[in-house]
Amino acid sequence: MNTFLTIKHIGKTFQPDKEVEVVALRDINLDIERGAFVVLSGPSGSGKTTLLNIIGGLDDATAGEVILDGKLLTGLSEVELSGIRRDHIGFVFQAYNLIPVLTVKENIEYIMKLQGRSQQECDVRCLEVTQKLDIDMLLGKLPNQLSGGQQQRVAVARAVAATPKLILADEPTANLDSKTAESLMNLMQRLNEEEGVTIIFSSHDPLVIAKAKHSIILKDGKVIADERTG
Amino acid sequence: MFRLTCRVAWASLVRRRTRSIVVVMMIAVSLWGLFTMEGIYGGMTEQMINSAIRSDSGHISIFAEGYRLDPDLSRQVNNVAKIESQLVHAPHVSSYVKRLKQDGLVATAHYSRGVSIIGVNLLAEEKHGKLQGYIFKGEFSFGRKDRGAIIGFKLARKLHVRIGSKIILSAQDSHGEVSSVSLRVTGVLKTYNMALDENAVFLAEKKARELLAVEEGVSQLAIILHNDSQVAELQQKLRSLFPSLEILRWDELYPALLQSRVMMDGFNLIASLLVFCVAALGIFGVMLVSVLERLREFGIMLAIGTRFSQIRNIVFVESFFLGFIGCGFGSLFGAGTLYFFKVKGLDLSLFSDAFDEFGMDAVIYAIIRPSYFITAFVAVSFATFLSVLIPLRVLKKSKPIEAINQV
Ligand SMILES: Nc1ncnc2c1ncn2[C@@H]1O[C@H](COP(=O)(O)OP(=O)(O)O)[C@@H](O)[C@H]1O
Ligand SMILES: [Mg+2]
Repeated sequence: MNTFLTIKHIGKTFQPDKEVEVVALRDINLDIERGAFVVLSGPSGSGKTTLLNIIGGLDDATAGEVILDGKLLTGLSEVELSGIRRDHIGFVFQAYNLIPVLTVKENIEYIMKLQGRSQQECDVRCLEVTQKLDIDMLLGKLPNQLSGGQQQRVAVARAVAATPKLILADEPTANLDSKTAESLMNLMQRLNEEEGVTIIFSSHDPLVIAKAKHSIILKDGKVIADERTG
Repeated sequence: MFRLTCRVAWASLVRRRTRSIVVVMMIAVSLWGLFTMEGIYGGMTEQMINSAIRSDSGHISIFAEGYRLDPDLSRQVNNVAKIESQLVHAPHVSSYVKRLKQDGLVATAHYSRGVSIIGVNLLAEEKHGKLQGYIFKGEFSFGRKDRGAIIGFKLARKLHVRIGSKIILSAQDSHGEVSSVSLRVTGVLKTYNMALDENAVFLAEKKARELLAVEEGVSQLAIILHNDSQVAELQQKLRSLFPSLEILRWDELYPALLQSRVMMDGFNLIASLLVFCVAALGIFGVMLVSVLERLREFGIMLAIGTRFSQIRNIVFVESFFLGFIGCGFGSLFGAGTLYFFKVKGLDLSLFSDAFDEFGMDAVIYAIIRPSYFITAFVAVSFATFLSVLIPLRVLKKSKPIEAINQV
């Protein structure tokens, strides 16, 4: 098995007040292969968002470590994590992912620009990705001129365009109707196969969950199922 | 990367268009006011200094020792030829004039007043201080046979004389005898040098020598230089050559004028500080609100790999855009307005005739100095920089990444 992401003994406790402690994750251990299409499911409050944030270096775990492609992410500085996110991880959030003042094309090129790629390179890659996602006619629009489904596709395009090793998508379909949700999932599945990028997404929609080949179920901050199908 | 930063910053300002325009206008209008006031006040001061230099002191005046404390005919500059030979060869000297002065009395059929009698050579004065430019009524001439007199406009008003009116001038001559001469008013001067406008009676040097029984000496030698930066140097040189004479610069003769120049600088400083505050507060308010409403947007940017320093740069660039566009418009309006008033002049007599009374020129020609714009630019630059420090602190403290999940 070609392990790409290892999560060892991850625990997370929030302390919103001095006296209050919220245990969001307890002793999570996971192995995820390169190129996997993984779903994190579980009821609301089970810790999906928290886990994705820790994997992506957006939040620190209180215990345990995250190893991404052989590199230990735990304990890295903010600037180092920022560089890893820029170069290796793509993010898709539940809604309003896009930078509102930039056009679709500029949004998609944004990370590539951060990576220092040339305009020519950005143009080529942008066209390639937007054609795959069927949004190449939206390039000149601003985010607020798009429907929710279109916005999510642009967000996926932005994430994938920068050629990350891993895409983390936190409930990317939660704000979409079921038809739009399904077509977004189909596109993500295609990208997973064609681009070979590892994708971990969270959802509590059974239709969406069914698309995954590796299903992890959380409850009360613990893994209660970790199954591979297909 | 810089282009991307500018693009995001600019697009963000355009998106909040009304707000951005309000701040830009705030800065532009306050700068416009600042420049207009600076240029007009500056013009007023320079005009007063200039008219004192042209009509009286020159850049440097030479008197006999003790003359200024006790302006008596016995205190005269006698070695005129020796001084002149120095002045003719001094490279910085543009022109000089000799004047013979004595206090005396002017009388008409109905009125009389104490005056300052000044014997001058009109041709020399014309070349020297362009005195003809101050003619208010009549002409710049003493008429045939030098029987005319040119007097200050306030004096003319008080004596109720017009062009052609007869006046009798009397004074003590060098022998201590009272002597008098009858003249006709040929011209009235408005120099905005209060002392002259109220007291001066100019007459031909030859007539003055006859009246005062003075053959050669002069009371004052006034020198104008090509460039006023050389004044102190020439003063030193003349002092070392003629230690027994009183050699004074215009600002030593008219300390109040120098004072008003110093006051003007102080005023400009305070006004610049005000503009600084307006710009800083305006930008501060807008950027603080803008940063707070974009927490989530910044959170997303940070999440996908933007560094905090890059976000900071966006905020700085936005602030600089606001400041510099405001500064640009303000400078443009200001320069335009000042140029207009520099060419056309600003006629303050429309508002009040008190200016005459204060001995100020009612028509003010604005001046435009690069320093106005440089100072304002520096003030606005500081303002743009300082005004985002707090919004940036607030941004950092509010952890934008956490805002992502608070939909
Ligand atoms: N910033 C936070 N402060 C305090 N508690 C939090 C914070 N974020 C999440 N939690 C808590 O952690 C638990 C897991 O939350 P989350 O990861 O958002 O769950 P999910 O995404 O599965 O709905 C919840 O009980 C939630 O209340
Ligand atoms: Mg969640």
